Amino acid sequence: MMTEHSRLKINLSWRNCPLYIHASVLAVIGLCISISSYASTDQSYKTLRQWIDSHPSVADTPTPGQHLTEKDREKYLEPLIPQPAWEYYIFAGMDMEIGATGHYPPPTGWDKKPISEYKLDERGVLVGFTGGRIPFPEIKQDDPQAAQKVTWNMLWRPGTDNYDMPMVTWLRSENGKLDRQMEFVGVSATYARGDHSLVPGYEEVKSKSIMEFRSPRDMAGTKSMTITYVDHYKENSGWLYVPAQRKPRRTMSSERTGETMGMDMIGEDALGFSGKLYENNWTYLGKRSVLATINVRDNPEFGGPHLWVPHKARWEVRESHVVLIEPKADNHPYSYRIVFIDAETNWTHWMFAFDREDDQLLRMNQHFLKYSESYASEMAQQAPFMKQDFSKNVGHRVFVHLGETDINAKKPHATMTHCYVKKRNFSPARAKQFYSLRNMTSGRR
Amino acid sequence: MIRQQKQAALAGLLLGTLFFTSSSWGIVNITDNLELEGFVNAKNVVRATNFSNGDLIMQRNTAQLEGKYYFLRDSTAFGRFSTGRLEEATLTVIGRSVYDSVYDLRDSYDGLEGKSESKIREVFVDMVLPPFTLRLGRQQVVWGETDNFRALDVINPLDLSWHWSQEPWEDIRIPLWMARGIVDIGKIGPFEETFVEAVWVPTDFESNKVDTDPRYPWAFYGAGLPKVADSVVIGDQLYDLDVTVRDLSPSRKLRNGQGGFRFKGIWGDIDFSLNYYYGFSSSPGVKVRSDLVEIDGSTLHTVVETVNPRTHVVGLTANYSEERFTQSVIRLEATVTKGIPISIEPGAPLGIDPEQDQFDTVSQSVIMLGLDRPTWIRPLNKLRTFFISTQFFWRRYLDYSSHYQGVSSVVPATIGGVTVPDRFMSLNNNTPDRDEFVITFAASTSYGRAGRWKPTFVFAYDPRSTGAFNKLSLEYLWSKHLIFNVQQNLYWRASGDEQGPWSIGDMFGRGDNRRNETVFNITFQF
Repeated sequence: MMTEHSRLKINLSWRNCPLYIHASVLAVIGLCISISSYASTDQSYKTLRQWIDSHPSVADTPTPGQHLTEKDREKYLEPLIPQPAWEYYIFAGMDMEIGATGHYPPPTGWDKKPISEYKLDERGVLVGFTGGRIPFPEIKQDDPQAAQKVTWNMLWRPGTDNYDMPMVTWLRSENGKLDRQMEFVGVSATYARGDHSLVPGYEEVKSKSIMEFRSPRDMAGTKSMTITYVDHYKENSGWLYVPAQRKPRRTMSSERTGETMGMDMIGEDALGFSGKLYENNWTYLGKRSVLATINVRDNPEFGGPHLWVPHKARWEVRESHVVLIEPKADNHPYSYRIVFIDAETNWTHWMFAFDREDDQLLRMNQHFLKYSESYASEMAQQAPFMKQDFSKNVGHRVFVHLGETDINAKKPHATMTHCYVKKRNFSPARAKQFYSLRNMTSGRR
Repeated sequence: MIRQQKQAALAGLLLGTLFFTSSSWGIVNITDNLELEGFVNAKNVVRATNFSNGDLIMQRNTAQLEGKYYFLRDSTAFGRFSTGRLEEATLTVIGRSVYDSVYDLRDSYDGLEGKSESKIREVFVDMVLPPFTLRLGRQQVVWGETDNFRALDVINPLDLSWHWSQEPWEDIRIPLWMARGIVDIGKIGPFEETFVEAVWVPTDFESNKVDTDPRYPWAFYGAGLPKVADSVVIGDQLYDLDVTVRDLSPSRKLRNGQGGFRFKGIWGDIDFSLNYYYGFSSSPGVKVRSDLVEIDGSTLHTVVETVNPRTHVVGLTANYSEERFTQSVIRLEATVTKGIPISIEPGAPLGIDPEQDQFDTVSQSVIMLGLDRPTWIRPLNKLRTFFISTQFFWRRYLDYSSHYQGVSSVVPATIGGVTVPDRFMSLNNNTPDRDEFVITFAASTSYGRAGRWKPTFVFAYDPRSTGAFNKLSLEYLWSKHLIFNVQQNLYWRASGDEQGPWSIGDMFGRGDNRRNETVFNITFQF
């Protein structure tokens, strides 16, 4: 039976895609597939809040080695997958392998007491912290600043940077129609390392990263450099080198709410939340067990009716902090954002953002992670355009980000990314040379 | 024959590798150390002077292939030889072949040499020897903050002969043989991210390329008729005009080298550079050799010399990302250029034209203030911002004379107010303003679920001449390989007939010579 909500969805879909009105029988069949997948769930903010409050019983946790299918919907899937994601992640033919909930120790020294004096100021901004540790190893549920502290732990988690990361991104419409595909390479280094900076004299820098496009050809060689600062109040610095212009151009960082490159996320959505904490109101909603692709064997293949979500991947049941973020700005596209952050590793698993106009799901993302030590026994796949020695990941004791799914529920459309991460330790001299404005004055051409 | 077969086989192998390599595209890995990229493009341009009688003026077919060879990695060359502190080196080759088929299609272009080329446009070696990097070879170097405007971006000349400045400047800059070295400094005193860059062009010099033959669609012939001046009137007598042009542009000798340097860094939050360039003017000046004028019966013989004077360009650039109030990147470029050629009216006082050759050099200052801003216009686009970029230019003659002349025009020859049929003469009554201004505005965004529709709007306006230019462009990314683009260029002016210096609506928007055009582009990229 079709709900009122699902009819609204279909109408929107027709309006947004007038070509379909005159399309062939094939397109109608495709639309029918969409109808069936949209008919299942309520994706409102209110419903997600209710889902968060309804804890599953321990007895309903799947056992390691079990493969969950659509038949496990009521028993395991709906209790452990946040409700707005059901219509994408629960589908006929699904295969979700359950792994044992693991313990993933951080790098040596990360669990020690911090060196520097630091605090949260009245706006919830971390002041005086210089990395090398998790700023808030203990989160107390009754702490009025628990939500900010969880988020600071996520932003300063180990393994955030220090990598070479080739990536492939696919942008797909419904029914798996591939609209665009892009390839690029990210390289990143953490400067702020607690008692020292990677490059002496650059103590104000948190991290530097450079990302360069390889394809399509009209974007090949386009590269950006971003500097983030220890001082959260200071905006990032950014430059963009465009081969057609043969010179770098300064970019602005404070606009974080528009989609770029046709992708289905905004700047703030990276890893659940990448904005400024002081631009939002914060509420800690407690802990919740969720299914997460926290230690996948490999970059997962994509499945579901639209090829948007991980399929035949290994999942774990993870206890996660749930953080509610409410943007203060009236013109922000989101009314609410809810982020599920792993309680042990501080990595984001799920993010749901709701449209300010109607509190319905607007965007969501879900992340694929792999623990560096698992490379000793399970190699992830290589990027299609370059080969790396992943065995060097072993010993870092951090997670690497193997990709993500970003869905815009209202288009509807999705962006799937595979990352092929090799951990890399830059020497101070090499970092100084590589992450420099000098490096942005020229490019491939 | 065998050689041709080998070449064909190699070409086939190359194309096969490009088209059927499924593992990579955009930049195609031929081997671990060799990458290729490129595209083929068909550009059709229809000129519709007054939105009627479309006239196909260009059918330019381009194939470009770019290769990069990583022959030195991790201080090891060719996988064998240790290179010590020389850590990385690559060879880049960019070749382009062009064939404009309109010259074979149109009878009216009979007798004109077709616009075609086939050349290695750029070939350079990049070397990294920290903290020193060096690029050696035929290349483009761009300095400055301005878009599509020549102030500090003067190192490479431009080829304006085939589509004026309407193409991406990357495609119309004329690469030069040069060395470009950068020494990375980093933090020094109050400055961060600093480096010093030096450019040396030992012998290579070329002027801007401009077509003056009015039969070519994008020829430059001033504000007059699309004709060649063949007559001169002295008193009431009409003479045939015979002009001998002597090209005195710099020869390829070391003494004609060009070079410069810049210091770039960040001070506070301001990204700045200090620049100096010692070169030659890319635009030639014309010296009239009045001492060589001869009248032979009904013909006046005259000699003119085209010269490219030495120039000194001193400049400052700065940009600042103002995140709080305007949420804009503010850009600034300021230059003083000495040695710019200028024409002087005939008969000017000796104090103005001591050589009496109707030529001098002047100094000009340029100030550009620009603003880049990602801007929400939600009624027009709910998903994505518009990237808005504006520029305001103020150019000033630092040593100005009312005897200076701008661009001359060709007009019908007249004697005593009576027009002589089919005879044309040159007339220059265009006096440049001491202060010149132009404003540009560009906005772009993307539409569609994957952002595959990309409209762009461009506007340029000269407030003194009221000349204007508009470009409306729509690009569609059909697939990862195929891009369609349609573009409408409009030249117009608000009022009057004053001639400005920017070659927009005041120059190209006149009557029957109005150059409004519709451009259709198809690009297949690897």
